[in-house]
Amino acid sequence: MISVKLDNVGLAYRLYEKLTLTAPDRRLGGLGGKIGRSGGKQVVQALEDVSFELKAGDRLGLVGPNGAGKTTLLKVLYGIYQPSAGTVAIEGKVDALFNINIGFRPEATGRRNIVLRGLISGWTEAEIQEKMPEIIAFSELGDFIDVPFKTYSQGMAARLAFSAATALDPEILLMDEWIGAGDATFQEKAKRRMDELAEKAGIIVLASHNESLLESVCTKRMTLKNGRVESLTTKPAKRVGARAKS
Amino acid sequence: MRLHRVWIALAHEDIGDQHRRTTLGPLWLLVNYLLFIGTFIFVFKTKDTDSAGYTAYASIGLVVWFYLMEMISLSVPLFSREGSFIQGTRLPLFVYVMRLTVQCIIRAAYSVAGCIVILLLSGLGISMEWLLSIPGLLLIVLATPAIVTVFAFLGAFFPDAQFIVGNIMRVGTFLTPVFWAYHGQGGIQNYAYHWNPFTYFLEVVRAPIASGEFPMHPFIVTAYISLAFWAIALLLLGRYRKRVVFLI
Ligand SMILES: Nc1ncnc2c1ncn2[C@@H]1O[C@H](COP(=O)(O)OP(=O)(O)O)[C@@H](O)[C@H]1O
Ligand SMILES: [Mg+2]
Repeated sequence: MISVKLDNVGLAYRLYEKLTLTAPDRRLGGLGGKIGRSGGKQVVQALEDVSFELKAGDRLGLVGPNGAGKTTLLKVLYGIYQPSAGTVAIEGKVDALFNINIGFRPEATGRRNIVLRGLISGWTEAEIQEKMPEIIAFSELGDFIDVPFKTYSQGMAARLAFSAATALDPEILLMDEWIGAGDATFQEKAKRRMDELAEKAGIIVLASHNESLLESVCTKRMTLKNGRVESLTTKPAKRVGARAKS
Repeated sequence: MRLHRVWIALAHEDIGDQHRRTTLGPLWLLVNYLLFIGTFIFVFKTKDTDSAGYTAYASIGLVVWFYLMEMISLSVPLFSREGSFIQGTRLPLFVYVMRLTVQCIIRAAYSVAGCIVILLLSGLGISMEWLLSIPGLLLIVLATPAIVTVFAFLGAFFPDAQFIVGNIMRVGTFLTPVFWAYHGQGGIQNYAYHWNPFTYFLEVVRAPIASGEFPMHPFIVTAYISLAFWAIALLLLGRYRKRVVFLI
């Protein structure tokens, strides 16, 4: 059963943990998380007491100002960051898209990059070759697929990244606020693919400032502020139905 | 997990990138090695050094030294260089360590090829004793992932290490018996020979070819150093693996 459950999750970034010969610079701006102290060390409390539960078919939109903790929360869900408090329980195969360029090598072609990205995500050679035509078709990159990745525009890179990440039907898909990079037609396609994914009873967690995207993709909405959950709402069911017609 | 595929593919790309950007590609590594060794053999020629024995001594010493120097200097900034991968994927840190290991071995192959050509041209004469270098080479290769891990953690937790290690390695080229031989001199050379861990890494490969005997003592010392690095590397990976992502 695919599910995500967080209980009182907290994450503190410790500042100046590195050892250095020079005196550390202690100036800090006021945006975002709370800067506090713990055991004589300065910490940024990026997440505090975050609890929620997602079931198969849920599509959660994460909103909140810059520095609210959206990216940090996605990275905790993906398992890159170990939370400093609370528990995370995840059932299902997770794939994530944080940054378009992650896992892509500028000198290699789009095709070779799909292979690398697949290997990094733990796919087998056979799975990659099987999905290759579909990934290329979905990305609509055409002949550019055999051109080095460094010649791609941000939008083209986004197409490739999204196509590759969603090709193997991840059960849980995490996306950070980058999807706006593709053009309108691609965003439409991406939305449709996310709908399909959710219909197959997957879970999507999407951080975005794009209201219309959140509106059309998500069934739940969580507002983060200073690392705390400010509100968690479930959209009325008719909204979800309306999506199918568009 | 099929992780070995990941690091082999990535190392393959690293080498391929060098090919794509330059005409000679990794052959530059060979050119670099030949230039360096040629300078020593032909320019700094003295009565002592004008022999097949010295040519073999210096050319093998330089292969191993280049390998160690490159491996250590590339290890220190390893985690910050791989920062976008470490912060964006769940690949274990060991993948990056192995990627660098494979890359270093492939690069070393070019200077090893150059070294073999020099040995053949030097008129030393091939002998079966050369095979006694193989255990030493294997030992160094086996120690590589551990050494890379230790220096990569050092670089992550202590960013100044990059400059300190860089300086030590530059000075090490002269303090290590790469080009000079130890014949029981006293003073600095005595310490630079006996108290220098690099000496033993060089000797395990060099002694069988340069003097035709198996270097038991250097082999044992190198084995102990390698075991110590493995113990520290496993400890670091076990205890601090999850902290690295917060440091880069
Ligand atoms: N690597 C880091 N080290 C220290 N603080 C960080 C780090 N990454 C993020 N933060 C802090 O954590 C808070 C939340 O950041 P983030 O999750 O990136 O916010 P969002 O994605 O919502 O804009 C911010 O205050 C930010 O300054
Ligand atoms: Mg963010």
